[in-house]
Amino acid sequence: MTLRTSRKPRLLGLAAIAASAALVLSACSSSPSEETDAKPEAGATVSITDNFGTVDVPVNPETVVALDNHVFETLTEWDIDLAAAPKGIMGSVWPGYTDNDDVVDIGSHREPNLEAIVAAQPDLIIAGYRFGDSYDDIKKQNPDAVVIDIAPREGEDLMSELKRGNTILGQIFDHEEEAEATNAGLDEAIAGAKEAYNGSDTVMAVNTSGGKIGYLAPGVGRSVGPVFGALGLVPALEVEGASSDHQGDDISVEAIAASNPEWIIALDRDASFAPEEREEGSAPAAELIAGSEALKNVPAVTKGNIIYLDANFYLTEDIHAYTELFEQIQAAFAAA
Amino acid sequence: MNVNRTSAGNGDGGTPARESGRSRVRQVAPRSSIATALPDAAGEIAPEKRARVWPLAVATLVVAALLALSLFVGVYDITDGELGAEMMWITRVPRTVALMLAGAAMAASGLVMQMLTQNRFVDATTSGTTEWASLGLLLTAIVAPSVGLVGRMVVSSLFAFIGAMAFMLILRRIVIRSTLVVPLIGIMLGAVISALTTFLAVQFNLLQMVGTWFMGSFTSVVRGRYEVLWIVAIVTLLVFLLADRITVAGLGREVATSVGMRYETILIAGTALVAVAAGVTTVVVGFLPFLGLVVPNVVATLRGDNVRSNLPWECLGGIALVTVCDILGRVVRMPFEVPVSMVLGMVGAVVFITILMRGRSRA
Repeated sequence: MTLRTSRKPRLLGLAAIAASAALVLSACSSSPSEETDAKPEAGATVSITDNFGTVDVPVNPETVVALDNHVFETLTEWDIDLAAAPKGIMGSVWPGYTDNDDVVDIGSHREPNLEAIVAAQPDLIIAGYRFGDSYDDIKKQNPDAVVIDIAPREGEDLMSELKRGNTILGQIFDHEEEAEATNAGLDEAIAGAKEAYNGSDTVMAVNTSGGKIGYLAPGVGRSVGPVFGALGLVPALEVEGASSDHQGDDISVEAIAASNPEWIIALDRDASFAPEEREEGSAPAAELIAGSEALKNVPAVTKGNIIYLDANFYLTEDIHAYTELFEQIQAAFAAA
Repeated sequence: MNVNRTSAGNGDGGTPARESGRSRVRQVAPRSSIATALPDAAGEIAPEKRARVWPLAVATLVVAALLALSLFVGVYDITDGELGAEMMWITRVPRTVALMLAGAAMAASGLVMQMLTQNRFVDATTSGTTEWASLGLLLTAIVAPSVGLVGRMVVSSLFAFIGAMAFMLILRRIVIRSTLVVPLIGIMLGAVISALTTFLAVQFNLLQMVGTWFMGSFTSVVRGRYEVLWIVAIVTLLVFLLADRITVAGLGREVATSVGMRYETILIAGTALVAVAAGVTTVVVGFLPFLGLVVPNVVATLRGDNVRSNLPWECLGGIALVTVCDILGRVVRMPFEVPVSMVLGMVGAVVFITILMRGRSRA
């Protein structure tokens, strides 16, 4: 019930900080009475509001299955064991889960082995995101488990959504203070990057895959789109009806050259796969952008103002990844 | 012949081709005999030759105009100083050259495929050849990611060859009751292979890369990234050299063998050419659906079935179609681009269905 405030999109960063601070304070003030021990007694539950409504979730559930890539990093930090996870879409970012044979592999979201979830007899399933389509099936197949979906909702402010999910995780796994610190870290990183931005430089966001460049629209474009809104960046090129899918829009190098961006933020979608053995046809983003003849006179290239997202960004996309991205952007802006 | 010449002189690209085409159908078959009787018929051949050259010249001009247009369509203002002029050489010229090479090669290899299978509805995409090429491409990414562009093309072409041969062998073993069964078999084979490709891509987390790779698009064609496409120019040239043999092979194994031709050799050579064209274009630009199907069909409808005299038309037609589609793709969503395969798919489907319907009503 304390989370009711986060259901509405919060427009102002300040409001967000205030709200989440208030939220944590209220949660803290109410919890000590029931959690005098470090470990809450079995049966304690917390009421959270996920994307589908209010759910009572056991605090520190014994058997956890997580499917949403947004949560792995946080769970790793908190040393939460998982009974099963979709190792096929986790790359090599979380070896603690993917290399652990005790963690059952559910495969990828395209070919999920949902039975493995049932076999694990979980108390809590963190579903959603890439597994959004399987939500109903998972819920039906696991009547004894609590199924939650706390992935960022479409159309909402991504940063608030990330913090919301993180706060909920904190409540469930009794790490509220850490969750709050992480949320504050994101706000801080955003504020820092905002401050470092001169307010007028134009920015173009692209992704690269298979040797091709895609345009990521401000706001809606995969991964980088939300950065524009969060930092108030001036887009080098803004087109009505741009695509919000993971491929972006087919754009030629000359169109990028024509828009003459001061900065380019690039997501290399292939980077997380076989990074040590990447093949020529899927030239890394650096080769496609900085090495492009057509772009050699664009300010972003001549001044070296290109920000490459972490190789694993496409897999993580969580609050930690964005915090790091904003810190990276701040450093780049400050150095320019 | 006079009629032809004047109508060609009207400058309308479409009609003269059709009119002269009608009269040509009769001339085509005995052409080689005309050539042998050249001294006797010399007086008559001269005007005939001119009549044959006129429509082709007009069509060439039209295609040249399209290519020139292609050079001037784009987001960057190429009239803008030194950089603009340079941009012309960095992106526009390579792109236009790539359109020419790919268009001509895919149309010519579509024709070869149709002659060799004696079926109008076969090309690289409806025989599963491109699917095999893409399977080869994916395997290089999985097994030897550092093999480079050339190695990738070799493997891709090799797979395309295996696929095309498998298709031919299956065709030989079955009783074909309808011409439409042949492309159906090809599409079926292609579906099986592409299912395998998808499966492997999912297993190795390459699905997104595969999607981008195979989407036929000239967007990423810039100086330094397309030059290997010149290989298909050689393919097209070889098709020209083998044209007569391919025509004879197109009459079937019995006829071909009875005139003393090594049918199997031509079959394999033709298939190899198609495979190289499909393999290389798949690696460099991606799938170009319907191109090899639509162009030969339209040309055959207009002009009959002689491979050698049709070949220039195939090449021009292929270039024209792929260029128009690419220009459309560049203009429709400016400054973004719609992949040429998407436009080609739509245009091609409409033309293909029209050909089918017309064929039906005539039969």
